[in-house]
Amino acid sequence: MFSLNIIFTEVRLNKRSLLIWTAVLAIVILVYLSSFTFMEEMNLVEMIEGYPDIFTTGLGMGPEMFGDVNVYHGGLVMLYGLLLASIYAMMLAGSMVSRDSDLGTVEFLYTRPLTRTTILLSKVLSFLIMMLFLWVVAYLFSAIIGRFWVAPDEFDLGAQLLAHLMGLLACLAAGGVAFAVAPLINRVQGTTSVAIGLGFAFFIFNSIGNMYDPLRFVKYLSISHYADLTGASSGQVPAAGLIVLPLVFLAGVAIGTVLLNRKDFTD
Amino acid sequence: MNAIETAGLAKYYGKNRGVIDIDLQVKEGEIFGFIGPNGAGKTTTIRLLLGLIRPTSGEARLFGQPVPAGGGKLYAKIGYVPSEVTYYPEMTGLDLLNYANGFYELESGHWVEELTERLQFDPEKNVRTYSHGNLKKLCIIQALMHQPQLVILDEPGSGLDPLIRKELFDILEELNQKGVTIFFSTHVLEEIERTCHRVAMIKDGRLLQVGPVDKLPGRDMHIVVMKIAGSQPSKVELARIGEAEEIPAKPEYYRILSRQPVNMLVTNLSQYKLDYLRISDPTLEEIFMELYEPAVKRGQNSYV
Repeated sequence: MFSLNIIFTEVRLNKRSLLIWTAVLAIVILVYLSSFTFMEEMNLVEMIEGYPDIFTTGLGMGPEMFGDVNVYHGGLVMLYGLLLASIYAMMLAGSMVSRDSDLGTVEFLYTRPLTRTTILLSKVLSFLIMMLFLWVVAYLFSAIIGRFWVAPDEFDLGAQLLAHLMGLLACLAAGGVAFAVAPLINRVQGTTSVAIGLGFAFFIFNSIGNMYDPLRFVKYLSISHYADLTGASSGQVPAAGLIVLPLVFLAGVAIGTVLLNRKDFTD
Repeated sequence: MNAIETAGLAKYYGKNRGVIDIDLQVKEGEIFGFIGPNGAGKTTTIRLLLGLIRPTSGEARLFGQPVPAGGGKLYAKIGYVPSEVTYYPEMTGLDLLNYANGFYELESGHWVEELTERLQFDPEKNVRTYSHGNLKKLCIIQALMHQPQLVILDEPGSGLDPLIRKELFDILEELNQKGVTIFFSTHVLEEIERTCHRVAMIKDGRLLQVGPVDKLPGRDMHIVVMKIAGSQPSKVELARIGEAEEIPAKPEYYRILSRQPVNMLVTNLSQYKLDYLRISDPTLEEIFMELYEPAVKRGQNSYV
């Protein structure tokens, strides 16, 4: 079912990008979360209340956000963190599959005594390990900065754990989408373009869905909507997200497996 | 048992042909050459045998088992050397060999060490620093390290210097003496003549001929290029030696395709005062041009 050899090698081949993106996410958390006190002092709540609702809800910047560190972290910091992390998740998953076609290592890897299903599932497992690492580090970083620096009494580690779990599930779903389309793309550059495009599309769909009632349906196409980071960071369990996001991930992997098994590796 | 067997194997890419009706049997323990000009369908056939691409129709079997489209354990018996080699640039040669090793249960590393020494390969360097030749050596080692029962090589000599190429074919012959089946494609006749028991010729996606190497068409042919000093012979005179033509860019030079035995050929050529003479075996391209172009034009596919 899995090849440990592939799992370890994939982690090794991708460790540099994992460390870079983890560092980027950590810096985003550090900069934004540490700005909470400063924003509180600026009376941003009053300022935000003066903006039209369509603007604040679209960008996920409601007035309640600047009065509660947990909602601020989940609804704003992690929203943008999720944008970055989901783009990385799709780039990572897509490149794991399309790199062999792009680089020319298909003839090395796909002539080993393994089925294509085993090869893909092993790559999926290494993707899972790397996403887990990314979000565990993000959570630990958030916990340290939030609990020991920004708001020692208010930063709710339990609610933030839930929010980070939803972030992880959203990234897995994004990765699932990438695993589904990657067998159709023979160039890493192609999967990178898809990752960036879809990452922003998910973000924008959620914003537009929240802004305009007639277009409310588009937010259901967004992983950000199902992750519901604002709700999760205030302790509400996003039941829909807990079901939909893992299903998207599993469906994506299943579609990717079928397509990879049917793929002709030409030049 | 046949190591390789195909029946009516065909591959089309949309309306473009890859290969058509390939019927091939390679017996276990054979060294089998697969020759044809560039674009003839050699690599497509090999990819079909390896399950990297799926046939449009027909079937391929390895050791009696259908080639699994989705890969599988059958590949433990196979070593494959592609014509163009690329690996993960983050790895050293040793990393790559260890990665390949992880797919098999190898008993000892002596064989890998021997291959590394005989091919004069330095595995410590980063893959991205290797020349084309060194990448090919790395590829050969990883393809042979698990002691496969069938070795498939696509243009194995390309990129290797003559000494290493000779060493490679020595290794392949030694493996064959131990019962390993060797199947390789090439457009270098010398490689075929030196090692193969049987050969298949492919052109425009179709098999033209399958048979022993000594029955290879064109083996009796010689290409003569000569410059005759003084009075020039008539076409009729030259036609006694073979199919002659003047070389347009070089006045007084002639190119003759002759099927005369060497002794007779030399005797016949000695009647002329020659300023230049070169007698060589035809290249594969020349054989295909001389033998198969007219046949194909006439709508025939085989000389058999």
